[in-house]
Amino acid sequence: MRRNALRGALALTALIGLAGCGTASASPPSAGHAASIAVSLHVVPTIRSVTVSPATAKFADCRGGTASLNTASTPTALGYPNGRCWLGRPGTAFPITITNTGIASYIYVNGSNAVPSDSGNQWSLCNPGDNATVACTSEKGILPGQDQYVVANFSPSRGPTAAGLTNTPACDTGFGSGNSCWTTYGQSQREGIGLTGPSISDDSSTSWTVTITWTPVPK
Amino acid sequence: MYLRRLVAALLAVPIAFALLSSFPVASEASIGVGVQAGPVRLGGVAHPGGSYALPPVYVVNTGTEPELVGVRIDRLSRGAGRPVPPSWVRAGPSVQLAPHGAARITLQLIVPGDAGTGDYLSDVVAYGSVRISVGQANLGVAAATKLQFHVGPGAVQGFWPAVPAPAVWAAIGLLLLAAAVLGLRRAGYQIRVERKTAGHSSTDLEEGHIEA
Repeated sequence: MRRNALRGALALTALIGLAGCGTASASPPSAGHAASIAVSLHVVPTIRSVTVSPATAKFADCRGGTASLNTASTPTALGYPNGRCWLGRPGTAFPITITNTGIASYIYVNGSNAVPSDSGNQWSLCNPGDNATVACTSEKGILPGQDQYVVANFSPSRGPTAAGLTNTPACDTGFGSGNSCWTTYGQSQREGIGLTGPSISDDSSTSWTVTITWTPVPK
Repeated sequence: MYLRRLVAALLAVPIAFALLSSFPVASEASIGVGVQAGPVRLGGVAHPGGSYALPPVYVVNTGTEPELVGVRIDRLSRGAGRPVPPSWVRAGPSVQLAPHGAARITLQLIVPGDAGTGDYLSDVVAYGSVRISVGQANLGVAAATKLQFHVGPGAVQGFWPAVPAPAVWAAIGLLLLAAAVLGLRRAGYQIRVERKTAGHSSTDLEEGHIEA
């Protein structure tokens, strides 16, 4: 009886030992037969990618314009001349989240022409100040002129840049440290947008669309 | 009665949770575009006047919405090398991609006859046509990878570099066949294919004769 129990315990120990040795010792290959094992390997992503996810928000807190001409801004509508609106609010609200979902890259950002709902005359981007890519033509280059506008992004670490965005992608300084805009996988940034409208518009549309694009760029 | 209410209350919580968690997309919609990290490089040296198939570029939709993804040529990367004029590269059509779907887009490099020699550097920029709106701002995404090649001196050598290898082999095969047929006819041989009426064995249905 005791011998049977001992035999059983030995058999169980042998089974556990074999199982612990894994695939290699479980069934040694007989001569002339190939043996293989399948192993899975995870590798790092090899794509460069960015993802943008907005929270529900709209251009608001609009100010400026001329009340006596009935073209002053309302809280949600841009006025003339040179009304200003915000999507989010510098220092407090950042409704757009941009995430680097690929390998380490620079994150560039660019604007584009504002398009009216009637597909008529567009507003082009301009940049206030001395180092403008496209100079603004009102108030000695400080404010957008006819059919011009300025759009700038801002983040918790950096307010809206005075120069604003251009049509050409450029380093988004809201990312990274200093002016580098260098990001690594998974790094994200919350941002908002500020917009200054034209002195006057050729097109009488009351609805306009602007497009901001983020692009990861190799080193 | 009390027990029934208790069971109903206990069931209501997980059911409500399940219903709420089945609509995450609406609140977390995102757009995203990815491109291969490795640069698009021409295997050999290009020559003025030549046309070359570049390796197709891998693009992926990393957002939660279906997206039409296309590519364009733009100089964004820093580094030495002449910028590639966008008109030199003919990209394949845009591809419709489901969320997390991927595809390859073909690229053809056409170097004009008066192209300058040296290294060229630009970027293949994958962009999505879908834009997500917040307020009246459209948000767009794109992703860039380097495009690199070298243009060497001298015009392209004949017709071969402009044509893909399978087409070259097919052309060679056709030429050999035509030469063989011509040779046989000149030597006085004729190839005739006859079809006989039904009732014969299948081997008799088609016969080739070579007559002197």
